[in-house]
Amino acid sequence: MSEQSTITEQASHPQAGLWSSYRTLLRWQFAQIGSMLPLIIVIQALLAGGIIIGFGFLIPNIDSATAMFLSTGAPTVLLLTIGLVIVPQGVARARTDGTFNYMRSLPLARPLLFAADLTVWVIIALPSVGVAVLTGWLRYDLVFSFNWPLLIAAALLITVMATAVGYAIAVSVPPMLAQLITQVLVFFVMLFSPITFAPGQLPGWFQTVHDILPLRPGADLLRAGLASETFDASGRDLLVLSVWCLAGVAITIRALVRRH
Amino acid sequence: MNQDVLRIAGLTRRFGATVANDDVSLRVRPGEVVGLLGHNGAGKTTLVSQIVGLLRPERGTIRVDGIDAVADPGAARRRVAMQPQAQAPIDGLTPRMAIEIAGRIRGLSSRDARTAAAQLAEELDIAQWLDQRAMPEGRGLSGGIRRLTAFAMTVAAPTPLVVLDEPTNDIDASRRRLLWAAVRRRGDEGAGVLLVTHNVAEAERIVDELVILDNGKVVASGTPASLRGTDDNDLRLELQLPPGGEDPTTDPRDLPVTTLRLVRTGRRVLLTVPAGEAAPAVTWATTLRDQERLDGFALGPTTLEDAYLSLTQSTPLEVSNV
Repeated sequence: MSEQSTITEQASHPQAGLWSSYRTLLRWQFAQIGSMLPLIIVIQALLAGGIIIGFGFLIPNIDSATAMFLSTGAPTVLLLTIGLVIVPQGVARARTDGTFNYMRSLPLARPLLFAADLTVWVIIALPSVGVAVLTGWLRYDLVFSFNWPLLIAAALLITVMATAVGYAIAVSVPPMLAQLITQVLVFFVMLFSPITFAPGQLPGWFQTVHDILPLRPGADLLRAGLASETFDASGRDLLVLSVWCLAGVAITIRALVRRH
Repeated sequence: MNQDVLRIAGLTRRFGATVANDDVSLRVRPGEVVGLLGHNGAGKTTLVSQIVGLLRPERGTIRVDGIDAVADPGAARRRVAMQPQAQAPIDGLTPRMAIEIAGRIRGLSSRDARTAAAQLAEELDIAQWLDQRAMPEGRGLSGGIRRLTAFAMTVAAPTPLVVLDEPTNDIDASRRRLLWAAVRRRGDEGAGVLLVTHNVAEAERIVDELVILDNGKVVASGTPASLRGTDDNDLRLELQLPPGGEDPTTDPRDLPVTTLRLVRTGRRVLLTVPAGEAAPAVTWATTLRDQERLDGFALGPTTLEDAYLSLTQSTPLEVSNV
């Protein structure tokens, strides 16, 4: 355990090092979210079942290609649900009950608050990829062909993007509005995004919209990581996802640092 | 050498058309507890939010321990610890963990943070809850224990300036006394304390100076004694009117005593009179009571509450000598 980068300004006003502050914040955040963790995992499992098994009922005589598409899209839906729905609801609550300002009044670099939050959510979100894969395997006996580096990179990038964008929404609009937007986003992700169904089923103009939004690109990247023999990754998707990721992080950090 | 740990000058902050802070100036020296009094909406929380860099002032300067808090809020925040009016986010933590975490964030070593938690639990008499976990929706720990934990988190590591926003809310009477003593002790140990409260009567006993804020403006400041009256020889005559009863002090010419100050609050009328006129004051009040124009009366030393009420009354009822 190395205590690196200890910035000591003056002996009388010690400041904890960045690494040590980060670890302390993680401990704090985990304790706070910890009580919710079992519930989140249950919800994720139910959601995975709902998408993979439930959507399967909508399609009569589902063939294995469709089943594969559905099952490899489900992890993205789960990651997006956490980042775009659960995270902003938590942040909106923190703004209402004073937690947000409490944390901002501490002697910490404010981007560090976001880094700690992001870490916690990534750790909470990632197991849902496993949950979804397991459900698909149990239901349809699918054979996956993992491309591990791509799978890990895509899962991380989707989670960070969704969390950052969700955070950015929650810090940019009034808490009540943020809650409302997240409700709408659930439907958009589940029903109007070509994540669990092929983009060809959408009108042409809407496909173009999804080329710019991060949802379809993220889903396709993760899909290529899960079934690398069936699906290909595209550099453009990676770029779109990264741009959204950076925008979310930039907006969030600006909102954390800003004094109104 | 003894520079102010907090110096605010000409601070103005508006929200739309509302002037929340209007040209506010105040100072806190090391070792001093300064009380900031005011009604709800007087601008107290807006003021402290600017000290810790949550809000940006429109005009004016804030220096925390010599640091320009408007230009360099990050450096200022390392010199001030604040307990906000909202509860601290400690769900999922025990008071011990929360105090240790707060100490660690302010640069204490693990060992020092542990020691600080144990000492503060002793000082605030919350040792029996020290390892009880706070749960969401207010379960696990009561509001009072949470508030005391938040106070302990604020003072876990020493800082030049401590800002406390209504620290006694939800706390029972006996622990409130411990808390006041703990606040006073932080001052005696050399910290500057800015204490925001509307608990005038209790705060009076531990503060060195008071600043009274009304509608965003500083309407008075000074020691409790200097605010209480011109000198400590004045007395306070409290008249309790019967429900719906006519106020016998409506016409100043009816008053048989010199009235230095007159405040009406609900069915109470508070008069400040010179000590030398105690006898005519009692005679007058007794007569009124006999005529059943009063439910009762009391004569005693002036309190800060009288001064506070008269200063913050929207239409001051100052009565000069008749």
